[in-house]
Amino acid sequence: MKWNRKAKMVTVYLFTIIFLVFLNFLLPRLLPGDAILSMYSGQEIIITEQMYNELVILHGLDKPLYEQFLIYLIQLAHGDLGYSYVFHASTTDMILAALPWTMLLVVTSFVLSAIAGIILGVESSWRRGGKFDRSLLVFMLFIDGIPALAIGIIFLSVFSLKFGWFPTAGAMTAYSNAEGIAHIKDVLIHLVLPLSTLTLSQVPGDYLLVRNSMLLTIREPFILTARAKGIKERRIKYFHAARNAFLPFFTRIGIRLTYVLTGVLFIETIFAYPGLGFLTYEAISNRDLPLIQGILVVSVLLVLMVNIIIDLFYKKIDPRIEYAH
Amino acid sequence: MANIKNILIVSFVIFSCIFTPVICAAAENEIRIADKTGDWGHPSPYLAYGRGPGYLRMHFIFDTLVWKNETSDFVPLLAENWEYIAEEEAYVFNLVKNAKWHDGEPITANDIVFTIEYMKEHPYCWVVLDSVDRGEAVDDNTVKIYMSSTYAPFMEDIGGTMPILPEHIWKNIDNPIDYTELDAFIGSGPLKYVDFNKEHGTYRYEAFDEYYLGRPEVDQLIYVKTGDAQMALQRGEVDLASIKPEMAETLTKEGFVVIGGPHYWNKKLMINHNTEPLDNVTFRQALAYAIDQEEFVDKSLRGYGIPASYGLISSESKWASPNVPAYPYNPDKAKEMIESLGYKLNNGMFIKDSEPLEFTVLVSMISVGGQSTPDRDGEILKNQLEKIGIGVDLISLETKIIDQKVINWEFDLAISGHGGIGGDPKIIYDKVIQVPGTKVNPNTARYDKCEELNDLINDLLHEMDPVKRQEVVFEAQNVYARELPAISLYYPTSYYAYNPDAGVDWFYTIGGVSKGIPIPQNKLSLLVLNTNKGDIGDIVSGTQTPMQTENPAQATPLMPFLAVFAIFAAFYIKQYGGNRKQ
Repeated sequence: MKWNRKAKMVTVYLFTIIFLVFLNFLLPRLLPGDAILSMYSGQEIIITEQMYNELVILHGLDKPLYEQFLIYLIQLAHGDLGYSYVFHASTTDMILAALPWTMLLVVTSFVLSAIAGIILGVESSWRRGGKFDRSLLVFMLFIDGIPALAIGIIFLSVFSLKFGWFPTAGAMTAYSNAEGIAHIKDVLIHLVLPLSTLTLSQVPGDYLLVRNSMLLTIREPFILTARAKGIKERRIKYFHAARNAFLPFFTRIGIRLTYVLTGVLFIETIFAYPGLGFLTYEAISNRDLPLIQGILVVSVLLVLMVNIIIDLFYKKIDPRIEYAH
Repeated sequence: MANIKNILIVSFVIFSCIFTPVICAAAENEIRIADKTGDWGHPSPYLAYGRGPGYLRMHFIFDTLVWKNETSDFVPLLAENWEYIAEEEAYVFNLVKNAKWHDGEPITANDIVFTIEYMKEHPYCWVVLDSVDRGEAVDDNTVKIYMSSTYAPFMEDIGGTMPILPEHIWKNIDNPIDYTELDAFIGSGPLKYVDFNKEHGTYRYEAFDEYYLGRPEVDQLIYVKTGDAQMALQRGEVDLASIKPEMAETLTKEGFVVIGGPHYWNKKLMINHNTEPLDNVTFRQALAYAIDQEEFVDKSLRGYGIPASYGLISSESKWASPNVPAYPYNPDKAKEMIESLGYKLNNGMFIKDSEPLEFTVLVSMISVGGQSTPDRDGEILKNQLEKIGIGVDLISLETKIIDQKVINWEFDLAISGHGGIGGDPKIIYDKVIQVPGTKVNPNTARYDKCEELNDLINDLLHEMDPVKRQEVVFEAQNVYARELPAISLYYPTSYYAYNPDAGVDWFYTIGGVSKGIPIPQNKLSLLVLNTNKGDIGDIVSGTQTPMQTENPAQATPLMPFLAVFAIFAAFYIKQYGGNRKQ
């Protein structure tokens, strides 16, 4: 039974991946218009027939669609996500260069917002109806209503332009000659504003989720039992109640990741941060099909990977799942 | 409790590290330019992207034979002097004697001959060499370029645009668009290539000490990618940036020099002149009378622009005809003209044979210099045409889809735009008829119904006598404005601002850099010989007061550190107090 379930899970994921790869190949090609001409139409240059034909052959657009798909699959299997005709570079290289920056931003903000969301959610629900809970709830709902884009612009105007504490853009000072610790400092100081923006836009979601599920948990009889046993308040809060309230939070990590990846697109664009979000923006504005496809494949794989990990670990965190089957 | 103390100490150390100033050794006389896109390709002829900013990244490293100065006159670069020999249909260029490649090799006439051959074999998107037959090295410093047909725009299109390649390097390169080795960046320009970082969108150049026109004024030139270029300029992160028109005054007060760009980009109305009644000249003229250009400028550009000339060539160009027919806003006249074609007004709408007069108008975010610009052109046009009795169905689509629809003639009217209207008048030829052997450009009217116009645009391409050519160009504009294959609407004004203390006085080039790039980054700004700093562009401010720019590296963000520390302290005290009560 156990193996059957695993096999089923693997099959479902495999089919999802194949379907998404196919969709990913097909969708950009369904866009109306000649790919080569649209790539160059905004430019003040003249495309001769000779140049056009060379470009068509170079990008393999002269081959029938099924052949293009086969080539695409073979390349994909080799880790080759294609060649970006706009940026004259391997799409894999471009994505691999951008990915660490996005991961730095996403993972750090993910952890920070989770910590802040959990602590604030637990504390807020524990003081339900009190001054602290009510004001925090109003504040969080207010922040939740502001788009990440607006938060970013406010941060930029206040902390960068007005006070001059942080740089306006980029991931590091270009050609600063900084090395070692100075370089790390430079990177961190560039990280502060995009990270704060992304984190702040994520905290309300985490907070509301934890607060709600805590409110349900603290009514459970085992909390009363724990109190009756004379266990310290903080221990009941975090080890008895929060641990149980944490479950729905954990299952939503996969979904939250997609939100963070979407959020990062806007934030990286405002702060010109050289990650996947900015690359996506560039790819779409230049109609760079291979790059758009490559980014989608990587994003899809990332989200699926996180989902697999959650599926595998969920029963470790909530052993009841194992018994349920 | 020990745990919380530890956390406090660790966070204190971490935050202190983060917020202490980053010490970086800034190079002497370093110029930084902001760019929102960042990556415009490797700064080598075949690798830089085929747009203006891509060409500019490359032009610092690779010199051409001649170059346009601020007032659009050709000044010597690799060619010291030149002449056209009409009998032989050939140009003779005498090269400067002391010119060297960045690797120290001398530049000879053979390099020019080689470049022509190489670019004929490997087409280069900025230069079409169909009009050139061959190049011939007369001696080491003299090259003769034979034409296959007379070609009036030669100096601008080829002489001032074709980057000269070092033969000793490029003769071994079979596939130029894949070649990114270091020697692909060896040129003869005032700056040498140091680095290009695709990921961060940054470029770094350094002065070429042995440059034949003298060492440039700057030691380093750096392009940085910015989110908000203007903010980066105000913060002192960069020295030159494009700015929003509304900010011109504020920046002037802050001590920056703001330069308003010349008007070499036009928004225009594409017309499907293959369908009735748009195939009728009188009807197109009626449309022009019905359109109020001023309203477009006021509402779409918030006043930061000027109405366009109907003759396609920019009204600020030295080629602009003094007597281009104009169509001042006159809705009554427009109605009369439409009625003269058999249309009747019925309930405020024109009808003919019980068919209402209706058009579909395609609109999109038009990309100007790589940036999409939102505007209200579609709505304004709809209101203006409906006011005189023409029904309008406004369709908003993605730019590329509109381009395709225009190419396939699947439209009535479409709002489009392009630059290059301040440079060589050859633009009329390019934008009126379909250039043989090239793919359809969606901004080209493909209008060949007027013999007179066909002859004129053909003549302006081949007339080598400057005075006669000027007459032809004037006449071509007049006929263009009469025939109206498309209707130019307006020219937006773009603004750049720079820090005067950085040591470079940037300027807009009349007609645009090279083939008409309307960006004030002409490499002559970096050279001492630059004598022609005239009155191009509208210098909004010229205050030379020292600016109060704060070096970002020196600004210690003490406040955020204290704030974070205070939060931790508050948390600690709260926890500590709570525990004591228990």
